[in-house]
Amino acid sequence: MALKLWTTVVCATALLHASVASSQSTVVEVTQTVGASTEDIAAVATQIRAFGELGAGVRFMGEGAWGARSAGETDAFGAAYPYTNRLQVIEAYGERTFQPGRFLVGVRAGRYRTPFGISSASDHAYTGFLRAPLIRYDGYFALTNNSLEHGVDVIVGVPRLTLEVSTGVPGDVGEESRRPGLDTVVRGQGAVGPVIVGLSYSNTKPYQPEYFAFGRAVFTGIDVRYMHGGVEARGEWITGRPFDGTTTTGGYADLIVHRPLMGPVTAVMRIEHLVYEAEEPFELYGLRYTFGARVRVFRQFTAVINVIHQTEDLPQRRPTSVDVGLTYSLRSRQTR
Amino acid sequence: MLLVVAVFGSLASAAPAPALVDLQGTTRVGDRTEPHAVVWLDAPAGSMAARAPRTILDQRNLDFSPQVLAVRVGTVVEFPNNDRVFHNVFSFHDGKKFDLGLYPVGTMRRVTFDHPGLSRIFCNIHPNMGAHVMVVDTPYFTVSGDDGRFTIPAVPAGTYTYHAWRPGRPDLTGPVVVAPVASLELRWH
Repeated sequence: MALKLWTTVVCATALLHASVASSQSTVVEVTQTVGASTEDIAAVATQIRAFGELGAGVRFMGEGAWGARSAGETDAFGAAYPYTNRLQVIEAYGERTFQPGRFLVGVRAGRYRTPFGISSASDHAYTGFLRAPLIRYDGYFALTNNSLEHGVDVIVGVPRLTLEVSTGVPGDVGEESRRPGLDTVVRGQGAVGPVIVGLSYSNTKPYQPEYFAFGRAVFTGIDVRYMHGGVEARGEWITGRPFDGTTTTGGYADLIVHRPLMGPVTAVMRIEHLVYEAEEPFELYGLRYTFGARVRVFRQFTAVINVIHQTEDLPQRRPTSVDVGLTYSLRSRQTR
Repeated sequence: MLLVVAVFGSLASAAPAPALVDLQGTTRVGDRTEPHAVVWLDAPAGSMAARAPRTILDQRNLDFSPQVLAVRVGTVVEFPNNDRVFHNVFSFHDGKKFDLGLYPVGTMRRVTFDHPGLSRIFCNIHPNMGAHVMVVDTPYFTVSGDDGRFTIPAVPAGTYTYHAWRPGRPDLTGPVVVAPVASLELRWH
């Protein structure tokens, strides 16, 4: 509770400070999304983000979201927001980056997304996809999009090769929250030409109840990103244990194409796999394919359509479904 | 319909060499001052000797800074990434076409804008990031400030054709006599 209060105060202070600082900039974004799926579910969400500089090189990020959906037994519309029907603070942190010579040192403190794999806020909505990957969905015994840290994150290295260490306690939102306790994430990242490769390690408490899940949740992952000429390829692969006696292995690969001749259309494709091994009947095997498009309809309006086909025994309602979403996004800048 | 009002000051008395004038003015949309409009004057032949400098279009706080950049033909624009996330700057639609690929904080890419025209700049990772680069074939250009005011410095006195651009509006163009104590008031309706 104290930590939540602290992060709220940090966020509020940051925003207040930003409003009176001189010669600094603040950006506020409001994103409104509505959607529906053939899995008999509709969703609506609002996200507000404010970010900018406080002065002396210190930057802030504040993000709040409210989301609700008509049913909960599906992972449709699980990409960007927790759908808990209440306003929640997602991120609230300050950060400072130093560049002594060719080196890079950055410190972030507050409430931030768990820096495991492809996890930054801009990637987190998985542009063009309306569902989180299976390995990042609440409840599939792996990572979750809604994992947040209350802690300190330090990054050191040179621009093309960095080591990042985060230490804190869980501050998750959404349906599954990890139990309290110290957790650590270590991430190394290197860039060679247009290819970025990351290795991540996470050691934390399970989100399942203590009487059911013993030990710690430990995951290792590799992620790769490539983008050039309007073609982005990216993916993550993880393996580890959600708690003692179980293992989760899986990953996804995305292809996102936006070439000049495609005008406002961005084509997206994903293939993903998840294996959760545990005692029967709790094991889970999933294979899913997603094809879709993101279309800039008019100015700030963007439509997304996804066709999802899944096999094996994922607890979904239909093997093939169609998700449709419409997003309105507005950005306001203020420079003083 | 465009309404352009140019107010000219008194003409200087004839001199052997044209005086250099700081041409000042304001850009407006209706009665509201309009920031970040690009204003330039067609340059007479022989006035293009100065080499175009380098300039910076920063990526900071998930935003481009400045939002509107005006440069001369041949200018090298540097695109540093000053965010902890990756950026991928590109321009597909018109003007200079390029794609700089993913690059991390602390690194920079460069683009030479070698033809006049407008380039719309985006980031492939962050759909809300956008900027405009207007490339002009003249040394006499500027971008209006937050209050809509602008100054084109050191313009030799004489008669020119002016141009003004802002996002989403047709260009304004017309004649202007540049003389001491001259001003140029531009208005989109």
